[in-house]
Amino acid sequence: MITISNLTKSFGTFDAVKSVSLSVPKGAFLVLVGPSGCGKSTILRMLAGLEKPTGGTIAFNDKTVSDGERGWTIEPSQRDAGLVFQSYALWPHMTVSGNVEWPLKVARMPSAERKARVHEVLTLLDIETLGARYPSEISGGQQQRVAIARMIAPKPGILLFDEPLSNLDAKLRIEMRTELLRVHRATGATSVYVTHDQVEAMTMASHVAVLKDGRIEQFGAPGDLVAAPRTAFVATFVGTPPANLIVVEPAGDGRIAFAGEVLPAGFALDRPAQAMFRPENLGVSDRPGARTIALEFAEASPVAGRVMITGTRGDLRLTAVVNDAPKFAPGDSVHFAIPETPAALYAPGGELLA
Amino acid sequence: MANFASIASHARYALPQGLPLKIAVLAVIGILIAAPLARILFDTLAPETISAWRDVVVSPLSRNLLWVPLSNTLILGVVVAGGCVLIGGFLAWLVVMTDVPFRRTIGLLATLPFMIPSFATALAWTSLFRNSRMGGQTGYLEGLGLSIPDWLSWGMTPTLIVLTAHYYALAFTVIAAALATVNSDLVEAAQMAGAKRGRIFMGIILPVALPAIVAGASLTFAGAVSNFAAPALLGLPVRMQTMATRLFGMIEIGQTARGYVIAILLIVVSAVFLWFGNRVISGRRSYATITGKGGRAKRFELGAARYPLFALAGTICFLTTVVPVVVLIASSLAPSSSALFSNWTLHYWTGLSTPSIAQGQAGVLHNPFIVSATTTTVALGVVVAIVGSVLGLMIAFTLARHRSGFLSGAINQLAFLPLLVPGIAFGAAYIALFGAPVGPFPALYGTFTLLVIAGTAYLVPFSVQTGRAVIQQVSGNLDESARLTGAGFLRRMIAITIPLASRGLAAGSLIIFVKIMRDLSLVVLLFTPTTPVLSVLAYRYASEGFAQFANAITVVILVISIAATLLANRLQAKSQPWLKN
Repeated sequence: MITISNLTKSFGTFDAVKSVSLSVPKGAFLVLVGPSGCGKSTILRMLAGLEKPTGGTIAFNDKTVSDGERGWTIEPSQRDAGLVFQSYALWPHMTVSGNVEWPLKVARMPSAERKARVHEVLTLLDIETLGARYPSEISGGQQQRVAIARMIAPKPGILLFDEPLSNLDAKLRIEMRTELLRVHRATGATSVYVTHDQVEAMTMASHVAVLKDGRIEQFGAPGDLVAAPRTAFVATFVGTPPANLIVVEPAGDGRIAFAGEVLPAGFALDRPAQAMFRPENLGVSDRPGARTIALEFAEASPVAGRVMITGTRGDLRLTAVVNDAPKFAPGDSVHFAIPETPAALYAPGGELLA
Repeated sequence: MANFASIASHARYALPQGLPLKIAVLAVIGILIAAPLARILFDTLAPETISAWRDVVVSPLSRNLLWVPLSNTLILGVVVAGGCVLIGGFLAWLVVMTDVPFRRTIGLLATLPFMIPSFATALAWTSLFRNSRMGGQTGYLEGLGLSIPDWLSWGMTPTLIVLTAHYYALAFTVIAAALATVNSDLVEAAQMAGAKRGRIFMGIILPVALPAIVAGASLTFAGAVSNFAAPALLGLPVRMQTMATRLFGMIEIGQTARGYVIAILLIVVSAVFLWFGNRVISGRRSYATITGKGGRAKRFELGAARYPLFALAGTICFLTTVVPVVVLIASSLAPSSSALFSNWTLHYWTGLSTPSIAQGQAGVLHNPFIVSATTTTVALGVVVAIVGSVLGLMIAFTLARHRSGFLSGAINQLAFLPLLVPGIAFGAAYIALFGAPVGPFPALYGTFTLLVIAGTAYLVPFSVQTGRAVIQQVSGNLDESARLTGAGFLRRMIAITIPLASRGLAAGSLIIFVKIMRDLSLVVLLFTPTTPVLSVLAYRYASEGFAQFANAITVVILVISIAATLLANRLQAKSQPWLKN
């Protein structure tokens, strides 16, 4: 179990993490997701004990391990946590076995037990044949497995991952996603995983915290985030494809301007807002209709038997997923049919309007 | 993608990859380094000189000619190398990896001793520690009423101290450059494993830095055994001979054949050590720790040891930089070295000729010979630094990319050969080879060109060795990824390798410039009145008893060297903004 309360970290005058609070139960797979610079890696490093918080506390299993108010933090090695670095940080002068074994040596595990454990984790990660190789002699995916093996060898209760898949190719990334979840389940540990890739977050997490500018935008289960995004940012950040946002303004007589085009509307609006429409609720046509907005065709791709179509106009970008669509060529106009009522309404600042 | 690229590269090179490059590099350093040395060897094998071998190795003379100087030389090499790696490595670790206060200042100070010529440090030592045994002026400490024992005044002990104080900066430069490339993730991963500082140091940092440590040790060993100035000034007065001074003596009295034999034996003896060092480095797997993924710099917290360690580092730097410089300046102003800080006069700097002082010698600023020597020396330093850096980079690159094979081995051995050759012998070899016209080329003796060629050749090991530690760390992936874009060899060097390696390169050209500025042993034989250089002038003044003039010229050398260093530091900081915190 991990409890973070009002966690804050400042570097000089820059606040990287601003009063973040969340809690996950034992065995959870927590993903911290957000664009670069949102503070997710800093939180992870504070969890690892590599950075001291400037405010707030971190508790593992009800035991406080970092306290920013008192400027106090438990040594990384005393926290029962392991970390996989983005760069893997494999020691170049040690073999694969040596890399996995060294932390156990440091922990004074008896030699026979150590060898057995090294063999066990190498087997778990399917790299038992690579033991005698050096890190520079194995592939990126294999290096990744070694880094994970090295982390889990001392059986930490908390597994920390800093964008571990960002240096792998797409296929390997999907493979390693499954692999990581398998390791997570096999160890029964609580995992915290940092990524900027919301697909990873949605597929792997039991709990997701979406971060932006050092704050949590929303914290919950992946399904909840997609079903009920609490801010406009979350709405456009999660989901595959993410939801569409259209700027709406009252245009008199109960009519509403959608991105500047006045259309009849099925809802009431008294001030400017952002309306959310899910891709599966938009329609697509090659000629204008009663409730359509024309955008320039950007891209189309088949998705699980359906077609995903994206159009752009200035800052506006709409994506629809439909059963069938006309063929578009670059330069064509795509007419997106807008539903009468949006899935949600957000204030211009991004807050959800009730 | 990768397959296409490899097919394309196979198609492009009918010859084994890198062969033209290797041959070109080998040809250049063959002419620069091998030809003069071959000339020395063949000169001793001529029928009329071959008896010199017997005289030196197995004759009643050989104890004095070879064995005693040899043991002195080995003591100097081993003790100095050990001391330099300990001091230089300690300072490098402190500056690069810890939160010691004023680490930038320490980092700057730790590179300075290398800019102080070893003869200047030796002169400073005598200004302080000289006792009355040799007659003439005594040093400052005897002037204060202290009695300085002979062992502290002359011979092995002061030579060891002066050479260590001089060469540790070289070990510092090499080791610091390597430590700077150790990704801080590696250390943090060890922290996560629960390793304490000592364990992290012994288990992670030291092994990763080992190639650089071995490089530092081999460089300082070679420097110490071939150093001429310090044993000549501190050892010769009490008849302590090293192989370098013995060789100098032999050539001075015209016994060139015996001198060359000693030179060859010195090369052989030192080769054993350097061969061993090279084996350690090239036998290891290269540690590509620059990966193109930014690791943030996190420093060791020294805690309570912060200020004691700072005090220790500060004391080392102070004693090896400030003290010699202050002593030099003071003694260029003081009529008597036993009273360094009294009766100061600017006569030795600006005075006109007065028969009552220094046999009518005018101050250095009124001496046109010294003014023209300054111009020649600076021009020499700049030209050699540029030519040497380019050559050194080419060699280091060739060796890093094509490490195996006979040609690479030959390049490696040749490039490091000058390390084993006392500068004075190298100078003699250059006169032997280029003193007379070679084919259509005129004799080069007495020309600026000869100084440039000899200086470049002599300093090849330094440009290669300092660049090498860095270039080896630049991951092959980065070059290969540039290769996939279709960029040619030159383009990749300019766009990828050089920017990444520029810290090491700047350090390399800096070392070359400073080394040429302060070099004495190489140019002492190439010196002619048409190509005057400062260091030889200073040495001549010193040996003729005009310590003040010698020290004044040395101060001029120091000012130019230090200015060059500060400039280089500025350029480096500008060229690598990503290294800033």
